[in-house]
Amino acid sequence: MSQADIFVILRGLPWTVALTLGAFLIGSIVAVPLLAARESQFLPLRLFAMSLIQVVRGIPPLLWLFIIFFGLGMSYFPISPFVAALTGLGLIAAANMAEIYRGALKSIHHGQWEAANALDLGRLSTVAFIIAPQALRVALPSAASYLIGLMKETAVASTIGVAELAFQGNRLSQLTFQGLEVFAVVGLLYVVLSLPVAWLSRSADAYLRSKVAA
Amino acid sequence: MDGAVLYLADPPQSSQDRSNGGIMMEQGSNGTVIRLRALSKHFGAHTVLDAIDLDVRPGEVLAIIGPSGSGKSTLLRCINYLERPDGGTITIGPTTIDASMPVERAELSKLRRRVGMVFQSFNLFPHMTVLRNVSIAQERVLGRSRAEAEERAMQLLSRVGLADKAGQHPGRCSGGQQQRIAIARALALDPEVMLFDEPTSALDPELGLEVLAVMRELADSGMTMIVVTHEMGFAENVSDTVMMMADGDIVEKGSSNQVMRQPQQERTKRFLRAVHDR
Repeated sequence: MSQADIFVILRGLPWTVALTLGAFLIGSIVAVPLLAARESQFLPLRLFAMSLIQVVRGIPPLLWLFIIFFGLGMSYFPISPFVAALTGLGLIAAANMAEIYRGALKSIHHGQWEAANALDLGRLSTVAFIIAPQALRVALPSAASYLIGLMKETAVASTIGVAELAFQGNRLSQLTFQGLEVFAVVGLLYVVLSLPVAWLSRSADAYLRSKVAA
Repeated sequence: MDGAVLYLADPPQSSQDRSNGGIMMEQGSNGTVIRLRALSKHFGAHTVLDAIDLDVRPGEVLAIIGPSGSGKSTLLRCINYLERPDGGTITIGPTTIDASMPVERAELSKLRRRVGMVFQSFNLFPHMTVLRNVSIAQERVLGRSRAEAEERAMQLLSRVGLADKAGQHPGRCSGGQQQRIAIARALALDPEVMLFDEPTSALDPELGLEVLAVMRELADSGMTMIVVTHEMGFAENVSDTVMMMADGDIVEKGSSNQVMRQPQQERTKRFLRAVHDR
């Protein structure tokens, strides 16, 4: 495999990174109102959020991208492969992150809510200053491992023509007939990408732990 | 007991002649700061509180004793609406809440600002420094500036002997220290009444002592206090009044001397005998 071949593969790297971080960012943000709806006192809203989460998580990511790109994109409004992939993966990330947040929320001792209530901190202050900072710390390891999972999942975007790592690998393997070498390099790049995430998550966790625990 | 001796600088008054101690208090028309009428709470078919009537005078220290499941903690938690009573009224200072009606958030706020609460399990905010634990509600609830809130927090931390812990996180403090911080946190909103829900039950006896010393100082300063406790020494020596509860009802209530030394009711005698025999 020549150096030029490696560069062809590397051209997919920014797309994989952009898709991963973009979808994760969308997911992390959209998950907040989704969780709020999921935990709402208002039953219809709660049911809506619950079914949305179930449906989004229940359908394979590949199918979501097909629905958005070929279904909506071709029939109703033109949409670029990248935006379609970002939308689909962002939606999936939102549903998954909402569940991760929810688990973290449940892990916060009810005494924290009670202490905040007794101090007459309003609901918003309680969540913003007391509950969310603690829940985010709990959510961090799961969120990081989900981020790594999401990065690998972005490979499905190759099926609708986003020129990310897997797409470039596939193209190159068809040009060079060196599938094994090409995909080994692509695989290695995914591993390399996951390393800083794992490392960051561990050090952030250790830092927060050292601040809080005895 | 680092620092816990500090507050004995003020000569303790005997519980008999303890007065208002300079704390300004808004009182009900008949000189009560807390008045409960027919306060009731049920969990399903089980009656946890059976129409409780209770008056607490300003500066009074009331100890509630009784076996587990007698409703004493639930009573305390109903007073600031951590637990919603099913019926009856709660009057604290000029604020009255009728539990049989829907309660407005603003009314609840008035009630809770007059009442400080200390929990058995401390419930400090572990992600915040000790100083922040004591200052945050002052800023968010009372609208004090950061500087004002932190100054007040430092005063209170000194009062409980923990000024040197201000920059640490609660996880680095002993249980006794955590509970003293929790007392400072509750005092930070300048409550008229302090509720203590078994404040020493999660502590080993020596750490319990430093918390009891802070509570005694608070009592001597004229704070109105309701203390659910298994500390018979506190009930006998610090509190003015002792109330014995069993099965969601008040068995008897009287001066601490009388209830602890000459209980009138068979149920109280049996309970105190069991406690002393341990």
